[in-house]
Amino acid sequence: MYWSELAWLIPIFPLIAFVVIGFLGNKLFKKAEGGGYVAIAMAAISCFISLMVAYEILSGGYPGELFKQSLLWINVPGQDLSFTFNIGIYIDTLAALMLIVVSFISTLVVIYSVGYMHEEGEKKRRYYAIISLFIGVMLGLVLSSNYLQMFIFWELVGLCSYLLIGFWYTKPSAASAAKKAFLVTRVGDIMFMLGLFIFFVGFGGNLDYEHIFNFNFEDFVGGNSMLTLGTFFIFGGAVGKSAQFPLHDWLPDAMEGPTTVSALIHAATMVKAGVYLVARSYPVMVETPDTMLIVAIVGGITALMAATMALNNPNIKRVLAYSTISQLGYMFLALGTGGYFFALTQEANAGYTSGMFHLMNHAFFKALLFLSAGAVIHAVHTEDMRLMGGLSKKLKITSLVMLIGCISIAGIPPLSGFWSKDEILASVWETGAENPIFYLLYIMGILTAFMTAFYMFRLWFMTFKGEPRDHHAYEHAHEAPKVMWVPLAILAVLAFGSGFALFMGFGEAIVPSIEHWHAHSEDIAGILTTIFSEWQTYLSIIAAALGIYLAYLMYIKKSINPDVFVATPGRKKVYDFLLARYGFTAGYDWIGLKVVYGLSLVVDWFDRKVIDGIVNGFASITVHLGNVLRKGQTGFVQTYAGVVLAGLSLIVILLFLLGGLI
Amino acid sequence: MLENVPILSLLLIVPFVGAMTTLLLGTSPKASKYLALVFSGITLVLSVLLLFNFSLSSTEAFQFRENYVWIQQLGISYNLAVDGISLPMVFLSALLVFLSILFSWDVEERTRTYMGLMLILEVGVLGVFMALDYFIFYVFWEVVLIPMYFLIAIWGGPSRAYASIKFFIYTHIASLVMLLGIFALYFTASPLLGSPSFGMEAIASVAGSFGHDLALIVFSALLFGFIVKMPMVPFHTWLPDAHVQAPTAGSVLLAGLLLKMGSYGVIRVCITTFNDLSHEATIMVALAVIGVVSIIYGAFACLAQTDLKKMVAYSSISHMGIVLLGIATMTELGLAAAVFQMFSHGLITAVLFMTCGMFQHKAGTREIPLLGGLAPKMPIVATIMMIGFMASLGLPGLVGFIAEFSVFTATYNIFDLWVLIPVMSVAITAAYYIWAMQRTIFGDLTTKIDTKHIHDSYWFETVPLAVLIGLIALFGIFPSLLMDIILPSVAPLAAVI
Repeated sequence: MYWSELAWLIPIFPLIAFVVIGFLGNKLFKKAEGGGYVAIAMAAISCFISLMVAYEILSGGYPGELFKQSLLWINVPGQDLSFTFNIGIYIDTLAALMLIVVSFISTLVVIYSVGYMHEEGEKKRRYYAIISLFIGVMLGLVLSSNYLQMFIFWELVGLCSYLLIGFWYTKPSAASAAKKAFLVTRVGDIMFMLGLFIFFVGFGGNLDYEHIFNFNFEDFVGGNSMLTLGTFFIFGGAVGKSAQFPLHDWLPDAMEGPTTVSALIHAATMVKAGVYLVARSYPVMVETPDTMLIVAIVGGITALMAATMALNNPNIKRVLAYSTISQLGYMFLALGTGGYFFALTQEANAGYTSGMFHLMNHAFFKALLFLSAGAVIHAVHTEDMRLMGGLSKKLKITSLVMLIGCISIAGIPPLSGFWSKDEILASVWETGAENPIFYLLYIMGILTAFMTAFYMFRLWFMTFKGEPRDHHAYEHAHEAPKVMWVPLAILAVLAFGSGFALFMGFGEAIVPSIEHWHAHSEDIAGILTTIFSEWQTYLSIIAAALGIYLAYLMYIKKSINPDVFVATPGRKKVYDFLLARYGFTAGYDWIGLKVVYGLSLVVDWFDRKVIDGIVNGFASITVHLGNVLRKGQTGFVQTYAGVVLAGLSLIVILLFLLGGLI
Repeated sequence: MLENVPILSLLLIVPFVGAMTTLLLGTSPKASKYLALVFSGITLVLSVLLLFNFSLSSTEAFQFRENYVWIQQLGISYNLAVDGISLPMVFLSALLVFLSILFSWDVEERTRTYMGLMLILEVGVLGVFMALDYFIFYVFWEVVLIPMYFLIAIWGGPSRAYASIKFFIYTHIASLVMLLGIFALYFTASPLLGSPSFGMEAIASVAGSFGHDLALIVFSALLFGFIVKMPMVPFHTWLPDAHVQAPTAGSVLLAGLLLKMGSYGVIRVCITTFNDLSHEATIMVALAVIGVVSIIYGAFACLAQTDLKKMVAYSSISHMGIVLLGIATMTELGLAAAVFQMFSHGLITAVLFMTCGMFQHKAGTREIPLLGGLAPKMPIVATIMMIGFMASLGLPGLVGFIAEFSVFTATYNIFDLWVLIPVMSVAITAAYYIWAMQRTIFGDLTTKIDTKHIHDSYWFETVPLAVLIGLIALFGIFPSLLMDIILPSVAPLAAVI
């Protein structure tokens, strides 16, 4: 008996919570935090099983490298191509890693929610129902054994995101943000679907990972160019879900949801689904270097662009949202780099493992940062950092754990963010030897590191240091309750230490199932020597330190006045351009309103005036001709019925006559 | 257990007797409603029995056949049978009529006639789906028209006269063209057969030797008759008008069943009879173009509508376009998905039109700009609306996804990257539904209408909707329950002989 055989239960428990909380009415849960305790219990059980399963797979406790189970869902036999749709479970080390991250952070967030959502009254039931559904379908996504199943859960995860962004749906801005998230990711989903069609037909009517990963790619229907198009479209799905350029603009708006949702869905888990999709597809992706190059470039652009948008934003959640987009960009940069390098050299570099490593580290420190921000918002009832300041005196624990998160994301050793970011940048530099564009991406990565350190410490200084800028809010601020700060403390420990997984064999454990892929095995001293003997390491540390120093000069020492960035009209323009998110928001609106809606108005006009005009024109001609015959139209039902009957009899008689002729 | 029971005839007799009984004995609205409910209920039970007794392993193409010679000289037979294509439609018809009668529990005006007409409509629709003889097929086809005309003309909205006449004339002209096609089939096939016959299977067996040009003309005439009914762009404008004016139950049956008669005709008559012709590239491309134009055109038209019901009406055009696109692929996957889509659209569109009906009923208007923020006022209606919209935009786990995804996969398989065009509709469809929800149930509560007396749904509204949603989820999660019924019947159509 292995734990892995119970893996199918992992998504079941949260789904049970969804059904119980969602359908059993308010009365049952009026006292029990609107079903919050049920949600916690179910999330905790599934987290426990997840951890056991993940441990079993990662430690090699399960015979064979991975666990798989599969049931036939639909089978459509065809003449030259049969389609087989399966539903199953596929757990390799990658899925195991995701299981840990998703189930663990979900459980902590649900616990934290009991404190954060305490005052929401009857809405709590809806909240816990949807969040349980979300956890269930996200775990289902991770466990999926084929692309179609993943797509199914992928869409359901999107639904949950829609429902939770629009949680306070009576607020027009929340309803609007929910719509935007759904529709923008839907554009990505179209590409995902196109990728699935190409895969479906190209791989002979079966989308099982096992089938595809062991496929002889020479036999792909349509050849490598079609395969490239397929992987490109699959990546397009990831671009939508993981908020990458140019489909990134929904994520900042998604901050309209409760902060717990931002932490869980829009930072730690759901947006990682896109990264997971690309990592999952690695055995196919590395066959198409062109796609991998695009992945790396999109990741690099996104990392840099989102970081610049975070530089001057006054909203604490928005800054964290941009930082999420930027960090996700790092992960795609890493995956693209690793895949491109492998495709060209048939040798593995650290791109893949560092990308997944960053995924894990980021999940912990970003959940920590968001939940800390939630504690701040909970205390001062505003998200505007200009109204905060000096809060470290009031929120001692929150300010401390958030500082850990900031140092970690900034990439200061030995906290977790440093190890993965450093490895990413090192592998990007290494790939520069194959294609000089990676040198450019490296420079973009370093700039991003600098900016990341700056805006995170700007956030921390503005929130916790200096003089309180809104005394009323300051007076009423209070530390979060225990149910909130305990999850924060746990996350802080992980944000501090998850990077040490590198020394526990992370790199060897998390490798894609690709032939010729050999992980380098080194001892701790070896790893440390490698890292700290390269100048790139010091460059990234210096970049981060400079970012922190600049934030210190501007917001603590105040030797540089932030207003210098708006001092001239030119600078002000740049400043506003960043606040306007490079015009992407306006661009989306323009496409939606002017192009799509405009086109629909044209269609509507054409429909009423041209098509229906012709129809009515025919009718009025007939009416004019028919005026002669109008005396027959008595308007009585009996007459009409009589006419119909007479007509029918006439047909019958006619048939008799004609029949006789045959 | 059903070996010697003429269950298909019973499926026609019970609603017919029900209609007569309701018209005669329905002296009070209450009596009419109960009578109609009971008879449509029996019909539903019969259709469920049929479903469970349908053999998946049968080697016969058709099951439960009842074949009696009616007029021998003319080759007219009373020939009824079901296969995997018609069975889902039979069940859908019985289900939707029953639920529509329940949903109409508050009709107090001329209830007896209303209920009687619904049952007569049921007879006609079931007849169309079960007939294997062109003569009775056409008779049932015409029978459907009359009750629908009266449902719109009597219980319709302000411009019901225009809408009902337009509906009647438009679809009647289409029927006449179709009738010409049927006559052409009859007179061409009879000499080849050696004896006159209106039998669908008999005619199909010799249609291969019609000669290409004649076959093309007859095929086109029949196709025209059917795609007006579906309806496909540009022959669709009768539909939005009819829907906007029709009472809710009328709309449910119109979109849920009458449109299916069109696509059913394409499968049962056009591509079955002229199977070789249907596999020709030009025909496949022509069908695909009509389908894709309807998909995209319908979706864009939806976005511009301000009347919630008109929007749903246009969405039917878009979603029926998916059916035709599936047929155009002429593959097992595409054809099976087309039938699946007919079934799923029937369930989903019923939910959508009932939702529109509830808005009309409770808020007094369906004009989107006048609505807003109604979710807290009527949470159940809002939830149902959301589930219906999500199902219609193809959310996985619900029944609409399977069909849509399979049709697109088959489209890619046959038409290559041209699938890019219809797939775009996925985003547009999401846009009009999500945007409509934002403007009707989310945001600030509207001040443009009196919202004081708005209340949530009644039991007779919630129950049918709950049943529909249950089935939408059931077949969404276990699609093979339906796929396995459909597949054996479409496989011979996809096969190139």
